[in-house]
Amino acid sequence: MGTPEMLHTLDAFSSTLVGGLIAALMVLVNLLPDSISDAFQYAFMQRALLTSMMVGAICGLLSCYVVLKRWSLLGDAISHAVLPGVAIAYLVGLPFFIGAFVTGALTSLGIGAIERHTRIKSDAAMGIMFTGAFALGIVLISKIASSTHLMHILFGNVLGVQHSALLLTLAASIVALLVVWLAFRPLMLYAFDPTQAQALGFNTGVIHYGLILLLTLTIVASLETVGIILVVAMLITPGATAHLLTDRFKTMLLISVAVGVGSAVLGLWLSYTFDVASGGTIVLVATSCFFLALLLSPKHGVLMRQWRHRHIGSVND
Amino acid sequence: MIESCLGNAAAIEVKGLYAAYQRQPVLEDIHLAFPVGQWTAIVGPNGAGKSTLFHILTGSMRPLRGRIEAFGDEIERHRKEGSIAYMAQREAIEWDFPISVWDTVMSARYGHMRHDPLWRQLLPARWQAAHHLQAVRKALSDVDMLAFADRPIGALSGGQKKRVLLARALAQEARILLLDEPLAGVDSPSEQLILDVLKREREAGRTIVMVTHDMPGARRYVDHVVLINRFIRGEGTPEEMLSDSKLAELAVSSIEQSASDHALRANAVAMMQK
Repeated sequence: MGTPEMLHTLDAFSSTLVGGLIAALMVLVNLLPDSISDAFQYAFMQRALLTSMMVGAICGLLSCYVVLKRWSLLGDAISHAVLPGVAIAYLVGLPFFIGAFVTGALTSLGIGAIERHTRIKSDAAMGIMFTGAFALGIVLISKIASSTHLMHILFGNVLGVQHSALLLTLAASIVALLVVWLAFRPLMLYAFDPTQAQALGFNTGVIHYGLILLLTLTIVASLETVGIILVVAMLITPGATAHLLTDRFKTMLLISVAVGVGSAVLGLWLSYTFDVASGGTIVLVATSCFFLALLLSPKHGVLMRQWRHRHIGSVND
Repeated sequence: MIESCLGNAAAIEVKGLYAAYQRQPVLEDIHLAFPVGQWTAIVGPNGAGKSTLFHILTGSMRPLRGRIEAFGDEIERHRKEGSIAYMAQREAIEWDFPISVWDTVMSARYGHMRHDPLWRQLLPARWQAAHHLQAVRKALSDVDMLAFADRPIGALSGGQKKRVLLARALAQEARILLLDEPLAGVDSPSEQLILDVLKREREAGRTIVMVTHDMPGARRYVDHVVLINRFIRGEGTPEEMLSDSKLAELAVSSIEQSASDHALRANAVAMMQK
């Protein structure tokens, strides 16, 4: 039926696409001073740059919903639950992201079911499910793979990112971007006031699980860059930083994506320059952004609030 | 069917409704009809199941048993058409959400926007069809909040927040307004403004159903009163239902009911011993 040819065409197309994206990115990078752009002359650094920028962008996008819906713990839960999926996929010989997606989604459904049908509260349900799934993953991996392999899954290995992982991240980015654009209003209304969404006849069940699937997809796509443990930071910190800086939802999405992409680029460069773990460096840059915003935000920052207090206080005196 | 042709169908009819939280019954054997074009007040003590009834009417909670109809057919259809607007209690809203007053009220139009062409739906709010923008503008000026349109909702005072929530319900241009304690915790100028707005809406032919603890307001404005405390405790005109003797009966019903609950009885004993 010509399936091999189709796959071949698809492969060629994706290679061209990735090549084009990297070339476009390098045009921008080469505008920078040599001391910075030198780091990105290697092909593996260019792939790492493209991947981590895309991961920063989708994590930033999704983190707004995670922060506003108070889903930080859920993000944590799904990211841990992905581990047994990776191990099982490895055993069966499937691409790792299929297994990861299946166990991540199953766990989030399980959490919802426990929460709804028993007297166990949601935080306990999440704690039980994700530690259980994570333990299963550790046990399976200790049997089948080396500890370096485990370290890569847990903490990322962006410098060794494969072509297939890059493509997955690209596909996930496109899906996430399209969904957020096409379903912008229902998603925002659901995050803001789910009862209102229901009263307007929106199917909140579909929105809820759609958002969870999108979260799972993002986590799976970020696996190789920052790893299972640190992806949680990328799903919370950019959104929280943006929330401190604006009172508009669209602006929040833009700032959050900018923080995600910016941390990815700067973190990658710092990790190359100082020869330290890249996943951790990326997260540290994002965390620094958060604390800067916490201190300096014009509206919701600590310093401005202090200043306003003192100002108002002196007026009252 | 014949009834609805004659125009006698209720705006909302509740038939044999049962609801429970964690196997604890909250509403039992509820049969109700909210007449078209009338203003109904639902009155009952705290924990009587009033908000639960509203959660069921808006579709965010499923009853154990029972059927709900709007204008003689399935209520879900009318929700999808945007003919039922809901004003939540202030506590139900996340006020830290980064959204302006204008966009909050605009969200009431999201249901109607689904019927616009797809290309238009993908444009930003300010390029949506003129009638959406007009509805938002009119609702905001009705509650005297147009000057605050660009403010973030978190920066408003309590009474202003209530008025924005009311504006959101109005902007939907729905046939039925469901209002959960629209007068709770507002200062008296805001209260008067809200009651006047609702009076005008009813005169324009809308059906209003509100939960309230404000007896003087209810006596003066509403057409129809439902007393509720797990069961329906009475239904009729404000004069009959909001008399001192009727309200005392309702209060007694809630004491009897809690006395039947072991935990609450223990609690009451402990309080008496103090």
